[in-house]
Amino acid sequence: MSELVEEWTSFLPDLLQGLDISVEVTLLSLAIGIPCGLVLAVLVSSSSRLAKGAGLLIVEFGRGAPALVLLQLVYFGLPTTGLLLSSFVSAIAALAWNTAAYTSEIIRAGLDAVPFGQREAATAIGLNPLDALRFVLVPQGLRMAIPALVGFSIQIFQATSLCFTIALPELLSRSYGIGSQTFHYFSVLLLAGLIYAAICIPASILMKRLEHAIGHYAT
Amino acid sequence: MWSYPAFLVSGLPWTLSVTAGAFAIGALIGLPVMLAEESTFAPLRLIARTYVNLVRAVPPIVWLFIVYFGVGSDLLRLTPFGAAVIGLGLISSAHLAEIYRGGMISVGKGQREAASALNLGPVYGFIDVMAPQAVRVALPPSAGYAIGLLKDSAISSAIGVPELTERANEAAQATLTGLPVYVALAAIYILMSVPVAWLARAVDTRLRAKVAR
Amino acid sequence: MSDHADSAPSTAAGGPRPIRHTNAAPLIRLEGVSKHYGDLVAVDGVDLSVHPGQVLAVIGPSGSGKSTLLRCINYLERPESGRITVGDIRLDAGTPPSRAELSVLRRRVGMVFQSFNLFPHLTVLQNVSLAQRRVLGRNREDAERRSADLLATVGLADKAHQYPSRCSGGQQQRIAIARALALEPSVMLFDEPTSSLDPELGLEVLTVMRDLAKAGMTMIIVTHEMHFAEDVSNEVVVMANGRIVEHGPSRELMRNPKQERTRRFLSAVLNR
Repeated sequence: MSELVEEWTSFLPDLLQGLDISVEVTLLSLAIGIPCGLVLAVLVSSSSRLAKGAGLLIVEFGRGAPALVLLQLVYFGLPTTGLLLSSFVSAIAALAWNTAAYTSEIIRAGLDAVPFGQREAATAIGLNPLDALRFVLVPQGLRMAIPALVGFSIQIFQATSLCFTIALPELLSRSYGIGSQTFHYFSVLLLAGLIYAAICIPASILMKRLEHAIGHYAT
Repeated sequence: MWSYPAFLVSGLPWTLSVTAGAFAIGALIGLPVMLAEESTFAPLRLIARTYVNLVRAVPPIVWLFIVYFGVGSDLLRLTPFGAAVIGLGLISSAHLAEIYRGGMISVGKGQREAASALNLGPVYGFIDVMAPQAVRVALPPSAGYAIGLLKDSAISSAIGVPELTERANEAAQATLTGLPVYVALAAIYILMSVPVAWLARAVDTRLRAKVAR
Repeated sequence: MSDHADSAPSTAAGGPRPIRHTNAAPLIRLEGVSKHYGDLVAVDGVDLSVHPGQVLAVIGPSGSGKSTLLRCINYLERPESGRITVGDIRLDAGTPPSRAELSVLRRRVGMVFQSFNLFPHLTVLQNVSLAQRRVLGRNREDAERRSADLLATVGLADKAHQYPSRCSGGQQQRIAIARALALEPSVMLFDEPTSSLDPELGLEVLTVMRDLAKAGMTMIIVTHEMHFAEDVSNEVVVMANGRIVEHGPSRELMRNPKQERTRRFLSAVLNR
């Protein structure tokens, strides 16, 4: 047993460096993807045929394609058109697209959950549609969407493990690297799994608490 | 020259097999797991809930690696396909167990009490009262999960299963035309998920018509 | 749950004011207004004139089209036919109104809803200030000063920095009235303002409305409160099946209705 602990202790520094990169990619993808998701949500709900169509195309592609395929499309596919992106940038581009597509649906559901009377009151006091969205509907809609957004963030963090296939030195890559050197695959992969779990399980608990809290807020 | 579309499509049966195999395992194992989660025997409940939470907290590709490179090379000899089906199957069992649980919870305590008041006993109470209603609630999210599983099957390319994504990787390297190959690959996944979603909605509406709530 | 510590609004004695019109041009005019939802006719060719300073109560059984008619006036519902005139704005059902016309319309016409519809994520003061800042273009200090005054008029100055969820139903509705008054409308529409409230809480709201009427505001009130309708309004309109069945001075109509349909409705409602 103590050998295992020793082994794991020796793996940790390397793995934690990988974790660092996983977290960075997660945060950047969310920071770019969620605002884009808001824009897409507005586009898809718009009455303009052009806006709606463009929005739907971006959303359905970003959602319908597996995240792994999006990653490989950006990293392996784009270079043939002359656009060469590093694995770090490719990872963020692909995952931000994925995020934007999924969160646009989450945000739309949040906006729909806002009681209809709020929309009427905003119209009755003379707010134009953009102001009504900005001051009345979006603040309330986003609040309702928060638990689902947290849930999705957990999934994006897990998705960074797929970046192994595009040569990003994140957590899984480092584990595999150590495994191929020491041949103790099982041991190091188990440790990596535990590190992922150590982050995702508390995050899920947070999400359940938020669901509870938001429920009480909406009168 | 060498046509890549045909090569790409040769991965389709593998994608479908991995998905179907994993879903079948998940759907079957998910049921006892759900029952264990809801059991009155505390240790069993704890084990089941820990299993579900742990499995869902680790990324699928990590589980596949653990099964294939970890277990699969020392303890058992697993083919990539076998490892993929087992790995994704176990992950599915955890997610589907939670979906089944959601179904059971939505049917509600009242139904269970009505069933026992009628002296139906736990087994018939489950089969005749709880399960039919729970199935109706659990069907749409299960269909949604199946679509997700179809997309997750792409991960098995990382351990060498010759499915769609793996074929696309090979084709892109061989022909040096990356973008069209990957766009085609994405399009195939997108097109596949549409009929499944449509079918799920059709089944759902038919079931809803039967239940007057 | 109601907070009796808040200052009660002023109540002076007096009944409804007599109707004075004919020479003054009507402030609101509905001509042949109809609204249907598929096969269902909610409002059936209604003609109505409302003069400045008039307080009109609209009563009738559920489904008679009262609320729909009210909501046509500020175009929350778009009528299929007819013409609606508010002040100098004229809207024909055939021509879709421009954004500018609707904006002016909603500044002239204030509305209070049955379910209050206060914005839960803003404080009471912000609720009343929002439209002033975004629609009237007032800066924050001016808007908030005016809001504070309005809240004082409805007796809720001390609630300014609280959130609506901390206020009772009666208080929320009074805040909703202040919010509607913030744009200085020429006419106020009330869509069953007390139907969601306990009688006790409803009383505070009715008192505020009574004061508003006394101050000369033109009001159209859809209500089930028969005694209020008789006391505060000077004219009553009875609707059934999307049509106006009877129309006249409140006291006379409520005591001696001329139409059989009105008689039936009033006896069912009053003599339970």
